[in-house]
Amino acid sequence: MSAARFSARFYVAAGIVAAVLLFGLVAPLVFRTHQVGDVVGGLYDHPSAHAWLGTDNLGHDVFTNLMYGTRTSLLIGLVAGAIATLLGVAVGTLAGYRGGAVEEGLMGFTNVILAIPSIVVLVLISIALGTRSTLTLAVVLAVTSWPWTARAVRAQASSVRTREHLDVARLSGAGTFSLICYDVVPYMLSYICMAFVLQVSGAVLNEAALSMLGLGPSGGVSLGIMLHWALAWESVRTGAWWAFVPPTLLLTLLAFALLMLQSSLDELFNPRLRRHARRRRTARPAALPLPVERPVPEGAAE
Amino acid sequence: MSLPRYLGRKAAWYLGALLVAILLNFLLPRLIPGNPVDTIVSSLSRGGVEGSQLHAIHAHYVHEFGLDKPLWQQFVVYLGHLAHGDLGVSFAQSPATVQGLIGQALPWSIALQLPAILLGWLVGNVLGALAAYRGGWFDRGAFLGSLFTSSMPYYCVAILLLYLLAVVIPVLPPSGGYSFGNSPELSAAFVSDALTHYWLPFLSLVIVFVGGQAVGMRSMAVYELGSDYVNYDRGLGLRDRTIIRYIFRNAMLPQVTGLALSIGTLVGGALITEIVFSYPGVGTLLFTAISQNDYPVVTGLTLLIAVAVLVANFCVEIAYGIIDPRIRASSRGER
Amino acid sequence: MSDTAPAAPLVRARGLRAAYRSQRGSDVVAVDDVSLELSGGQVLGIAGESGSGKSTLAAVLSLTARPPLSVLGGELTIDGEQLDLSGGRRPPRTWRGSVVSLLPQGAMNSLSATTRVGDLAVDVVRAHRGRVRRADALDLLTDRLDALDLPRRVVDSYPHQLSGGMRQRVVTVLSTLLDPKLLIADEPTSALDVSTQRALTELLRELLHRGLVGGIVFVTHDLPVLRAVADRIAIMYAGQLVEVGDTAGLIDDPRHPYTAALLASVLVPEPQIRTRRVGGIAGAPPDLAAPPTGCRFHPRCSLATDVCAEQSPPLLGTIGAGYSTCWWRAEHPDEPLEARL
Repeated sequence: MSAARFSARFYVAAGIVAAVLLFGLVAPLVFRTHQVGDVVGGLYDHPSAHAWLGTDNLGHDVFTNLMYGTRTSLLIGLVAGAIATLLGVAVGTLAGYRGGAVEEGLMGFTNVILAIPSIVVLVLISIALGTRSTLTLAVVLAVTSWPWTARAVRAQASSVRTREHLDVARLSGAGTFSLICYDVVPYMLSYICMAFVLQVSGAVLNEAALSMLGLGPSGGVSLGIMLHWALAWESVRTGAWWAFVPPTLLLTLLAFALLMLQSSLDELFNPRLRRHARRRRTARPAALPLPVERPVPEGAAE
Repeated sequence: MSLPRYLGRKAAWYLGALLVAILLNFLLPRLIPGNPVDTIVSSLSRGGVEGSQLHAIHAHYVHEFGLDKPLWQQFVVYLGHLAHGDLGVSFAQSPATVQGLIGQALPWSIALQLPAILLGWLVGNVLGALAAYRGGWFDRGAFLGSLFTSSMPYYCVAILLLYLLAVVIPVLPPSGGYSFGNSPELSAAFVSDALTHYWLPFLSLVIVFVGGQAVGMRSMAVYELGSDYVNYDRGLGLRDRTIIRYIFRNAMLPQVTGLALSIGTLVGGALITEIVFSYPGVGTLLFTAISQNDYPVVTGLTLLIAVAVLVANFCVEIAYGIIDPRIRASSRGER
Repeated sequence: MSDTAPAAPLVRARGLRAAYRSQRGSDVVAVDDVSLELSGGQVLGIAGESGSGKSTLAAVLSLTARPPLSVLGGELTIDGEQLDLSGGRRPPRTWRGSVVSLLPQGAMNSLSATTRVGDLAVDVVRAHRGRVRRADALDLLTDRLDALDLPRRVVDSYPHQLSGGMRQRVVTVLSTLLDPKLLIADEPTSALDVSTQRALTELLRELLHRGLVGGIVFVTHDLPVLRAVADRIAIMYAGQLVEVGDTAGLIDDPRHPYTAALLASVLVPEPQIRTRRVGGIAGAPPDLAAPPTGCRFHPRCSLATDVCAEQSPPLLGTIGAGYSTCWWRAEHPDEPLEARL
């Protein structure tokens, strides 16, 4: 067995993610000929030396929009992903570690939120808010997506709870909080890491979907908002590819790279997923693994 | 736990979730800063309606939507209306009722998605199973391809397909459910017209769905291929096709669940595909309603989406409880 | 029993070699030049530590080796029929189940959770005898169940509806449904408690006695079980057999230092052995990717000399009657080992 080694897939995925990050965070500082909101041409001008990717329906430079749009989308994705992971880990760890009534209560709550499709809650909250800043939108996205992580982390935490080193830590007088921080969470770090990647990609895609429905961040530009206007102003049917192809490709690339990153991390942390991995002699789980989308109330199985 | 008790608990749980969904639908729109009626009236005032008339309209709407009563009374009224299938009157297209608008849009959405889901599920499972069984280059190619299409946001697939097949190579009509000037009726001309408009959104949904199913089926089948019973069955000299039958019987169970759950997302699953193709379904209705601040329509749709998903999940759990011997066994504590 | 070894044994294996292909392309040879013989009606026990290659040997003998394990060479003769295992040649499917059958470890996972016992039996019969009516195939199963005093209800049961011991016995019946000439039992008792272990070994003996199975190779790490069930025992170390002999003879007077050390590490409640000190074996089993030169046991052997590290030990005895492979034994043919440890 080789030691922990990253696969080629990991490097490709990480490279793409890094490139998109660089484009969103650094490019706006480098290419400063146009600002967001500057009218630099007419309706759907073709790409030219003046506007590298042409102009959109309002005569704004598409390349500039693309840089800032990527920045907004990434910002929303990272902030929402971080908040959702944090919330999910906190709820999941507490439930899994404490068990009993705390677990029943927290997981019941989690499962109710899971059962209601997130698009419903997203649309309702977004409408109720009226105007939405980038950060508000990130929080809204996080609020609807943490339950996945919570449920998965709970399972991990309750298996960590029974390990012996925790008894040792408990006997040495450590408090619950420090136990969770120093003895439970570190054992789930690889898992949390993967959950974060998934949450970021989910948030980026959900932001785009909301924006295309007309519920994007007010007064800014994101990849989804670019698509919203491109669709609303018929850029696809009039053949103005520069208005919609760049954000579409960027979203696709980012989503694919994040998923690939997650799956190569998964393969790294769980070598059993590799094909032809040696057969293990341990018993398999009692029931077939169910798809994660399935909202099963935890208490109901007992 | 006995089957009736299992069913009872599930039913109670899902009723609770339904109640939460209804509460969200009721409460959140009422939190809109300066309630929805103000928004409508202010948009009317821009349209040049006079002040005294505005007051009358305002009072009328406030009364009609029951906004002058305490919140709990409003909720009771709301529940009463729901029980009669009454979702209210559209703001923007008054006097059209919300249920009427949804009734027009829903058949389009279902006709578009149900076949797409079924075909995508079938093709995806066969592809994934083949990939796991054949291995080698076929596996690598099919797996990466499926991973790519399934990780691609479905609306991106839709946009690119639209551009390629309706604009660059204009073989299919770019938008709508039927040609402009045609009206829905049951004639051969209309059906064939509707079908040509159907292929593009249909194709974009199938592609994404095939990818997702293939990835899931492949990993299930790879897992089963490595399991002990496969080794034992080989040791007994069973034919390969018999063993494959066993493998797929085990791997299919979660896949069937997946199918049932996707049917639950029928209503809200491809909102943006419809927007991209201006298809006259639920997604386009929601899009229009949001842009017109037509809150009754929006909340009617969100409620419908939530109910569809909840009902599908509930049915799956019930079916699981009845069909799968392992789940029944574990609920009886035999394990 | 076995000193009357017939001229043509039921099972005759020569030069079996099998290796695990690792991802880096190097091979780990887990079974290296193993030869053995088994007479009809007998149980040959194969014992060894984990990692000794005994389960790999079971996979090779039961013809169920699959990637990453591949058979590099060897020859298997069962009841006069010969099978060449060299060069990655695939053994015929119909041999498995009817000529050689597998009794696997862990009956829990050996049955597909969604298949009834009866359905599996029908598929097994049909796989070997072509188009057989379902009722006929089920009759075969119920007759066998009746003969062995097992309840008929298992025919319509799913695996999870059976207890652990019952499941293991049902698997045994399925494995021997077609009266195989050789049954390879791969640690069948290791997941069972003592009383179900006993029921299983009695069932195996019964099958042999009735002639429903030609012979049994019983692989385990559990020497006391072997003592009860096996006629002859083969001791495996680092992919090779180091000693083969009658059960009683091998336990009373081990010929190889490793056998002696293995016996000394087991608690046996027998009066004549009660005074023995229970010891471990110093060191750890060797890495099969780079096995020691000469005798593979020499780094852990208290009797090792220079020659042990340099040359492979001689085979003392015959494959048919019993043998050991040891330099020390070659020079001290009659000295008991127990005193030297």
